[in-house]
Order: sequence, then C-alpha cells, then structure tokens
Amino acid sequence: MGYRDFCGHLIPHGYTLENLDELEGLKTSNVRYSLEKVATHLVEKNPDLKIGIIARDCNERSLNVLYTWQQLKPENIETIGVNCCPSRTRDHADCSLLEPRETGSFKHEKGIDFNADPGEFLENHDNGERFDRWMYEFNKCIKCYGCRNICPVCFCPDCSLENPDLVEPGTLPPEIPIFHLVRAVHMAGRCVDCGLCEDACPADIPLRFLYRQMNEIVEQVFDYTPGSGIEKSPFTIIGDKVTLVPKPMDA
Amino acid sequence: MTIKRITFVQEMLKFMGLEGRLHLEWISSAEAQKFAQVVTDFTEKIRNLGPSPMAALENRTGGERGYNRAG
Repeated sequence: MGYRDFCGHLIPHGYTLENLDELEGLKTSNVRYSLEKVATHLVEKNPDLKIGIIARDCNERSLNVLYTWQQLKPENIETIGVNCCPSRTRDHADCSLLEPRETGSFKHEKGIDFNADPGEFLENHDNGERFDRWMYEFNKCIKCYGCRNICPVCFCPDCSLENPDLVEPGTLPPEIPIFHLVRAVHMAGRCVDCGLCEDACPADIPLRFLYRQMNEIVEQVFDYTPGSGIEKSPFTIIGDKVTLVPKPMDA
Repeated sequence: MTIKRITFVQEMLKFMGLEGRLHLEWISSAEAQKFAQVVTDFTEKIRNLGPSPMAALENRTGGERGYNRAG
C-alpha cells in the first residue's frame, strides 16, 4: 500500500506482484492518508493477506493500536518507513502537520484555537465560557462522518453514531455536544493523535485538541498511551484491581 | 470498570464545561437510608449549580434541537 502520482496529486494505491511496473509512479510527499485503515478492510475479506505499508510515525502508532485490538496481525504486515519528522539524521521531512494550522481572529474570540494548550484552556476560561466555546465549534458540524471515516483506529462495523435510535437521521446539526462526546469517549485509549480527523473536518472543529485532552486524561489516570506498544487499553480489561476512588460529592 | 469509566467521563465533562454534574456512589440494595440521603444531597447540589447550559440551548431554539434538512 503506497501512493501513486495521479495528475499531480498523490492518491493511495495498492501495488501487487502482478503489476510491478506500476512502481514507477511511487512517490511520497507531505500528503497523508490512513493506509492502515484500507489494510483493515482488505484483511476483512482475506485474513491471511500479507501487506506492506508505507508508514510514517503516526501510521506506526495506529498500527500498534490495530494490533492490540486484533484488527491486523503483526506477522502479516511489513512497514516501510518514510521521512516524516525533521531531525539531524534525516536531511528532509515530509508531513502535512509540520506547519501548524492557523486560527483566525473570530475563532479566537468565539471558539477554540487549534494550537491551544489544554492546561491553559482549563485555567483561562470558567465552566460557562468553556461550554459556550465548545458549542460554537460543534454547532458547525454537518454530520459528514469525515472524522470517523478517516480515523485509522475506528473500525466498528456497527458504528453507534449511525444507529438511528441514538442519532436521529435527517436532522442537522446532530445532537450536540453529545454526538462529539460519544466519539470522544470512544477515542479514549485508542486515538494516536495523527490529526487526520481535524484535517478532514469541513467545519474546522478542533477535534485533535479534544481527543488529545481525552488521552491526556487516560495517560494521567491510567498511565496508558495508545500506540506506544502492544498493550491492551484499560477500558477493555474487566475485573482488574484499580486504586481509583470515587470523588466525594462536594469536591 | 465502572469506576474507570466514570472517572474518565467526569474529567471529560470538566473539560467541556459541565463540571460536577456526575457522581458515583456504591450502595447496596439493603442500604435504603444511605440511598435516600445520597439522592437528596445530590439533588441539592445540582439545584445549587443551576440549570444546565444544555437546557438553556433548548429553550433558546424553542424546544427544537435543530432544523430538518429540506426534502
């Protein structure tokens, strides 16, 4: 699974043994797709298929999560690294995230900065203001499911966001903030911070900021970072002893 | 598992601006008085917090959640 040059754009393409001469068109640039997601679909039909994937750091992390959730078998996947982040050992780097997104002035006033720091966000704004800012952002949602479609670690065949009993079909905007909070809860322990959701969102909702905070919580409370290795998420292990204590009511 | 999820959701709601509206308490079916006490205290706490900002939204749009797509 790699990329192919098509009229000046790079699109995902699967090279096979039968079409080796197509390799002439293989190129990489700062364009990113979740190739591992395509791999999971292929493996559904053909479980023993061996796939090689052109992988950046973010792809490697998503692959780790997919191995943990048993969507892909590590012995059938081979990754080919790509220069993604600049460093002294690599003379060039290709990633669409290298230039941080700019946040306009209106968004600064009413909504949430893409590059905000969660700690500052919690301190600088009180409850009411935080809620208003998030609602400003979520109000723009058109329920395109772009975030869910492109997410490399979203693989449920029966997505709860498409269940007509939970999310009423045919109305816009979707029931906010519940729609996005449901997705955020599902991303806890799974999101690897690749940023494709924020790139895909046509309404510029700062999804990466939201899911990053969710995983900060998971890291602080459970000491688990998705994608760092092949360990199971704490939300999947039933019956283990935890030292957490419920907060008292007046906290 | 419950305590893991509830702790997580409490932190998430705090980030969203809906802090303090979720509480977890372990009560056996034989502890009826404790149950009554906890519910009364929590109702009082919620009453003091005031209406949820989500309720304010509903009122603003006249009780409808949004608009129906044409056709």
